Amino acid sequence: MTEPLSRRGFLKAAILAPLMPALLAACRRAEDARVVNFFNWSNYIGKDTLPEFTKRTGVAVRYDLFADEDEMFTKIRAGARGYDLIVVGDYLIPRFRSLNLIEAIPAGTLKNLANLAPRFRRPIYDPEETTVPYLWGTTGIAYNKKKIKNPPTSWRDLWDEKYKDRISMLDNVRDCISVAMQLLGIPQTTRDPEDFRKIRELLVKQKPLVKQYSSASYLNSLVAGEIDLAMTWSGDLFQTARENPDLDYVIPKEGTYMWVDCLAIMRGARHRADTLRLIDYLLEPSVAAGIANSVRYATPNLAASPEVDKALRDDPRVYPTRALMKQLQLHHVLDSEQSELWSQTWADVKVA
Amino acid sequence: MTQIDRALSWLLGGRKPAASHLLLAPASLWLIFLLVIPAGGLIILSFAKNGPYGAIVWEFGLHNYARAFDPKYLPVLLRTLGFAGATTVLCLVLGYPLAYFLTFRAGRWRNALLVGLMVPFWSSCLVAYYSWMIVLGKEGLINTALLRAGFLSAPIGFLYTPFAILLGLVYFYLPFTVLPLYASLEKMPRSVVEAAYDLGAGRWTAFLKITLPLSLPGVVAGCVLTFIPCLGDFLTVEILGGPRYYLLGNLISNQFMMAQDWPFGSALTSLLLAGLVGGLWLYQRWEKA
Repeated sequence: MTEPLSRRGFLKAAILAPLMPALLAACRRAEDARVVNFFNWSNYIGKDTLPEFTKRTGVAVRYDLFADEDEMFTKIRAGARGYDLIVVGDYLIPRFRSLNLIEAIPAGTLKNLANLAPRFRRPIYDPEETTVPYLWGTTGIAYNKKKIKNPPTSWRDLWDEKYKDRISMLDNVRDCISVAMQLLGIPQTTRDPEDFRKIRELLVKQKPLVKQYSSASYLNSLVAGEIDLAMTWSGDLFQTARENPDLDYVIPKEGTYMWVDCLAIMRGARHRADTLRLIDYLLEPSVAAGIANSVRYATPNLAASPEVDKALRDDPRVYPTRALMKQLQLHHVLDSEQSELWSQTWADVKVA
Repeated sequence: MTQIDRALSWLLGGRKPAASHLLLAPASLWLIFLLVIPAGGLIILSFAKNGPYGAIVWEFGLHNYARAFDPKYLPVLLRTLGFAGATTVLCLVLGYPLAYFLTFRAGRWRNALLVGLMVPFWSSCLVAYYSWMIVLGKEGLINTALLRAGFLSAPIGFLYTPFAILLGLVYFYLPFTVLPLYASLEKMPRSVVEAAYDLGAGRWTAFLKITLPLSLPGVVAGCVLTFIPCLGDFLTVEILGGPRYYLLGNLISNQFMMAQDWPFGSALTSLLLAGLVGGLWLYQRWEKA
């Protein structure tokens, strides 16, 4: 074959090639199967939870994962629609609401809502119950018992020079700013720039000691001995401690905040009825207990507690004692101006 | 099919403006949709304002640019230039001998080695970096081997240091330096070097006076192809680097991901783009002069 001819052959193929996807698309059946598109944290559901739902209802669940809340929010904001059900942290709900990204779950549509413990009904971050609590946990300190002789007792220990380069902090505005506020005795309601200057200073002072700011990969670093002391979310550490039993978790003496991850329906969800069915299913006592047993976070589902593993149920690190529970507070619901101050302060810490 | 053949003869034969426009169309559309429109959108966004909860308010002004010149970002810029520069120099120092070997010495192994050079690109660099973590970790391959052999008494913390960042960057960008170098060495006529030998030049003289100057376009292309993407890299620091080595790429990605300040992130990106385009333009003028 001479050269111009082969070039011609190539062009011919190039002209025909774009037609192929169109042909394929024409062959594909119109999508009629019942399905719910669910966007959740990684490692945040039981192994059988969703297959069991599909078996029972015939509704398939397309399950997508994120490992970072900021990334999830950016993805949604950038126009990832398609999802029906999403897990949102309590502090993000006002933001999602304000940007019109989620829609309210109509009152009275969920028959299992009554299974929730009273504490989780009509919460301050969502008094109209437009979302449904899924799991909750605390933020505390993880440490390696073999390498840290005196167990940490205070957030101050994360500022201790002797742990230089062995510390990791959550890469998360809410948690890092809250801890700084707790140490400085600044209320979360503040909007005084001077307070935020102090917060920034405290966190910048800690920076030379910190090996990583991370919300997920630090768990591997803990297991691998790269770091020995970490600010962590309770359940993540309990999951990791299955791999390395030397890891332990403490709630610092200054106390800590609790947070609640909630199920929310995305605006424009196309499979609303089946999504509501899935939420109701997740609220069933045995299902909620199955999830809690698997991910080791606390379930807000009171009716589920008899079915939660006894070891977990009696573990004060997972379900704090009554006295400690009274002290645990939810994060203050930030307005947009406060929220801006928080993230600006955190961004400045990262740059410093 | 004869119809198509006839159409193709029209398209490929002779100099017809309509035909050349048609041939240019796919590439132009590609550039317009994937470069011009997104970059234009980014520039427009960079003049907008950041509203409550990161909503974009379409009130235009220069405030984002004013913020970008805050001196607190200067160390980030200098650090980024430092890392990108060091990576480029290291890639050149490692890459030139490699390209030289591939061109003149590799013989029948040449193609296999060239493919080998590309192998790291077959997996995502995310996977590659995680593998480096396994190699470099305190309980990783190197430390375990050195500890077992008795060379070390305590593991070395390689990870989250400038060393780990440079290693990651050089590892990933080395082929970007080697391939243009290889291309320019490869197309160099061997007869010129032979002529130099015939005229009495030694190996070094021939290399310094003939081979090196002729490969300079490859050196420049390799450096540009390494330096520019390095300036925007954020993944390497995110995975292998610690909090003290925050680079421009991390600053920009944080505006979009964490701070939810897209207009400011766009302004930073536009400035980076402007700096690059300006730099390349100056370089071209200098080259012509």
